[in-house]
Amino acid sequence: MKMFSVAHKTVFVVDHCPYMAESSRQQVECDVLTKSRAQVIPLAPVSKSLWTCAVECSMEYCRILFDVYPKDKLVNYIVSDSEFHILNTWRREDQSTHELMSALAAVGPPNPREDPECCSILHGLVAAVEALCKITELQHEKRTALMDTAERVANRGRIICLTNAKSNTNVRMLEDCIQETISEQNKLAAGSDRLMAIQQCELVLVHIYPQGEDTLVSDRPKKEISPLLTSEVHSVRAGRHLASKLNILVQQHFDLASTTITNIPMKEEQHANTSANYDVELLHHRDAHMEFFKSGDLHMAGTSTRENGVKETMTLKWCTPRTNSIELHYCTGAYRISPTDVNSRPSSCLTNFLLNGRSVLLEQPRKSGSKVISHMLSSHGGEIFLHVLNSNRSTLEDPPSISEGCGGRVTDYRITDFGEFMRDNRLTPVAESSHDPSGKLPVERAKAQLERYTRYWPMIISQTTIFNMQAVVPLANLIVKEVLTEEDVLTCQKTIYNLVDMERKNDPLPISTVGSRGKGPKRDEQYRIMWNELETLVKTHAGATDRHQRVLDCIVACRSKPPEEEERKKRGRKREEREDRTEKNGSKETEDKSWQESERLKGLLEKDEQESEVIKDSPDSPEPLNKKPRLIPEDIHPPERAKGPATLLSMWTNRITVANSRKHQEFFGRASSVNSKFELYQNLKEENGMDAHENGKASR
Amino acid sequence: MPTVILMDVSLSMTRPVSVDGSEEFQRKNLAVHGLNMLFEHMASNYRLEFTALMAFSSLWELLVPFTRDYNALQEALSNLEDYDKTCLELALQGVSSVVQQEWGSAGPCQVVLVTDGSLGIGKGSLRHSLQTLKHRVEDKKFPLPFPFPTKMFIMCIANAEELQMTDALENLEELLRISGGDGQIFTVDGPLCMKSVQAMFGMLIDRAYSPFHAVLHCGNLSSNVQVFPRPEPVVVDDEVEPIPRAVSTDLEIVGFIEIADISSPPVISRHLVLPIPVNKEVDDVGAGATDELEEEPSASQMAGKSPNFCVLLHGSLKVEGMVALVQLGPEWFGMLYSQADSKKKSNLMMSLFEPGPNPLPWLGKITHLGPVSEAAENPYGEDDSKSPFPVQPQVKRSYAQNVTVWIKASGLQTDVQKILRNARKLPDKTQTFYKELNRLRKAALAFGFWELLKGVAELLERECTMLPDSAHPDAAFQLSHAAHQLKLASSGDSQYAAFDHNIVPMHTDFSS
Repeated sequence: MKMFSVAHKTVFVVDHCPYMAESSRQQVECDVLTKSRAQVIPLAPVSKSLWTCAVECSMEYCRILFDVYPKDKLVNYIVSDSEFHILNTWRREDQSTHELMSALAAVGPPNPREDPECCSILHGLVAAVEALCKITELQHEKRTALMDTAERVANRGRIICLTNAKSNTNVRMLEDCIQETISEQNKLAAGSDRLMAIQQCELVLVHIYPQGEDTLVSDRPKKEISPLLTSEVHSVRAGRHLASKLNILVQQHFDLASTTITNIPMKEEQHANTSANYDVELLHHRDAHMEFFKSGDLHMAGTSTRENGVKETMTLKWCTPRTNSIELHYCTGAYRISPTDVNSRPSSCLTNFLLNGRSVLLEQPRKSGSKVISHMLSSHGGEIFLHVLNSNRSTLEDPPSISEGCGGRVTDYRITDFGEFMRDNRLTPVAESSHDPSGKLPVERAKAQLERYTRYWPMIISQTTIFNMQAVVPLANLIVKEVLTEEDVLTCQKTIYNLVDMERKNDPLPISTVGSRGKGPKRDEQYRIMWNELETLVKTHAGATDRHQRVLDCIVACRSKPPEEEERKKRGRKREEREDRTEKNGSKETEDKSWQESERLKGLLEKDEQESEVIKDSPDSPEPLNKKPRLIPEDIHPPERAKGPATLLSMWTNRITVANSRKHQEFFGRASSVNSKFELYQNLKEENGMDAHENGKASR
Repeated sequence: MPTVILMDVSLSMTRPVSVDGSEEFQRKNLAVHGLNMLFEHMASNYRLEFTALMAFSSLWELLVPFTRDYNALQEALSNLEDYDKTCLELALQGVSSVVQQEWGSAGPCQVVLVTDGSLGIGKGSLRHSLQTLKHRVEDKKFPLPFPFPTKMFIMCIANAEELQMTDALENLEELLRISGGDGQIFTVDGPLCMKSVQAMFGMLIDRAYSPFHAVLHCGNLSSNVQVFPRPEPVVVDDEVEPIPRAVSTDLEIVGFIEIADISSPPVISRHLVLPIPVNKEVDDVGAGATDELEEEPSASQMAGKSPNFCVLLHGSLKVEGMVALVQLGPEWFGMLYSQADSKKKSNLMMSLFEPGPNPLPWLGKITHLGPVSEAAENPYGEDDSKSPFPVQPQVKRSYAQNVTVWIKASGLQTDVQKILRNARKLPDKTQTFYKELNRLRKAALAFGFWELLKGVAELLERECTMLPDSAHPDAAFQLSHAAHQLKLASSGDSQYAAFDHNIVPMHTDFSS
């Protein structure tokens, strides 16, 4: 159904003229006497007036409508006698049966003594057309949102008129009047902001007459009066005929279908230990039956056609629920339901069972006699939904397992830590009123939090030291926060002092020795790695606030002091970096850098592990593998260069480069370059008769 | 989305194609060449697609049922035989039944019709089928539109000029329109030859079989992924927003939700999320694919050993029983979760929700989901005993609020009897008695059913006279008080008939 189909706006116009006070002549016995009181004279049966019938059936229509479409299928209720009374507006908060009942009580039943000459349904119908021109909240929102394509927002609506129409001529008169009013109102609407011209109007005229009388108005299927107006006439006896007519109409108007849940076991009122099986009929959007319609299964044993021949119901069998296992079903649709007979005992038993949080699977009988679970009833927040479960073969069956794909062979993922991370990053509904000063939507803030939490997040255990250390947890949890309190800073500092203490005591660190020969790095080297990693983590946050910076300062101040010169150089570098950070604060580049850095550290570590026996600062030790002109352009790692003989990294990178170079043939140009420079297009110059060599020189 | 290849093997497909060179081809050879190219592409880039091969002439035959074995498909292609005339309608009926038997009618399906554009003559021809479209009886309906959503690709082994000489193109366009309009007709550009047919199939591959690559982000963690099957663009309301929405190639995780809280949400489609190596480039169609195969083992082994975010995410989602909410575009979300195929195999799966601000009512407005840390108090409780979900709607549904409906006489009788039952147990049941009485009063007033109020008042007066001697004196007072109040209400006097007014128990004091 389109957002702005005729179903968006429904106007009820109910006749409140004196003749509606007439009795429907359908009597209700409300005094049910037990045998023990047989001597009492029972109360005379009561009978509803035409008005009462019309009101209760229209309320039932609204009840079903609001149950299935709690939003944006709107009702405007108008009562007509010597004038019109509009009982509510299109506004969302006015859309409830309680509101309408309250307003109806204020109107009361029609006054039989009023002058019938002054009274007419026409007042209400004119008001209904005017109401259809009024813009709804949704129309307004969409028009505003669409801006230059605002004309896509259509204005259509339906008028359901419950009246006693007297004759076919009278019906024609009413139609003409509506047609005329529409053209008038459309002219008015053209010049207004709060009004919209009607593009399509459906008139459903229901003529109500008392039981036992002959109707003077004949039924007529939908016909086009004008391009803007269609009209249909239903002539119905008051009482249960009217009720079932409106029930059919609400289904037609809002694309509903009916499902009967069968075999519901229910305790007997009298005999609590026995149970009988009951059926409950539910209404819901007809898409919940899509699969049956398509497969042609609808016309089979499981369905039945009612006496009126219009309504069909699909039968689904109750499956006694298993224990409340939490499962993610593959569900292709979920549709709100409304019980047809809301306060019958079986209905309320079923709905209460569901509202208490249980789910029920439903079984669909099939042509072949085989059975298949096709639906599920479940409540969410006090609303019951009929879920459609996929019962077809999946096109995604037998996919390659995740362990066979990228990263599938790695075994030391930090699964538990990431689980913790996910708990910390769970979502919660945020009130729309709580406005963030940054003007960001809550989802954007959630993404921002994820960004902060992942600035430094090694994925595997062997890639990290600090996240394997219980002692670091308090700091690691706090530093990712957007804002730190003074207390948080203190906690972080304590954590750092604690680490210093550990280092002093020479406590072992959980450094991974995976893949390394021998015992792994020495203790002081381990601490250096740990401090480096911690610094990397904190550095990614230091730019956020002064307090974050203070945590970083604390680390820098506390970590074991390298030789003095190192220290000085480092400070210099740090200052540079800080400036750098303030420049591109929060930008992607900084993060990437920190990532690179962590990767580099990891690289250092591994290199260190593997080569530690070789490089003992001894002059006899073999030369690094590659002392040829460096293949890597100089400007990529200037800080390392500046560090002078601290060549762990350069050795490592060289090693990687050599390893890589074995995998492919080196570019001719790079292989024969001088100082990483090589003259391009030499052949052109040769062809031009110039000496390539000379040219090469000249270019330098 | 499974594919059915519907291959025309009528005699006209054996028409020779004049090529400048020495060798002479039939149209069938060209079609087979094109299809082989498609299968090779799928085998290396789209290998999870299920494909079936059907051949048709005046009859149809399912040569290869749905499979991922592209060798079998290619083999079947090489053994095609030639038959009589083209009868498309029957073949389409065949497609319909083959697809429904395998996949039901809910899932979408792609149909690739390969034909030379000579669509038969007389009865059974497409022209005849389309002409008689409106005069069909119920059980001889034209098979299109199929009950399942269809993408129809019509590959004409003929060029447009050739087709324009007959009404073939118009008929095919009509066919496409009836099928639902989602699809395309391809014709050969220029003279018929291997190259031009290859180009035409290349266009089909680009249109329907190019793998969907995206980057899955979770803050700074990310992974390159292929989403299979390709997520299709979605039109929510063709009137308000006619431009289809497509899934972004940046899939951004927003946060996490427990499986119990998301509770089997309705989804429009499901997709596998397969991590792919970072440097593997999107394959060029055709020729490039074969070269790549040789290097594949070492490349994939390398990729298997370097950590990938998808694997980490999958592992934790599985262990924790959670899903990740992922943003697919503006106001469009989906969820990532671990899906177990059997005990050993499990996978990262993505389901797409309906686009829009409110796809799952029980989560509230989806863009208003924010981090837990923003809440003053942890909504999950310190020990994970609570949950902020489901979000309660502001108004209760009718079945959750004890509404009054008297459409059936039994409804009214039950309500009256309830009052009488409680009336006989006064004063113990005073509260319930008045509660039920007020409920009935409210409904009677709203429905303008004053006669009922009078009737019930009479019933209460009668009960009053029938009280046994042992009854508490308060019972009589309350009954006559209630009866009096109902009568006042039935007068319509605004002082007593106000909807929100409640009859309160008479204040009596028998203690002294």
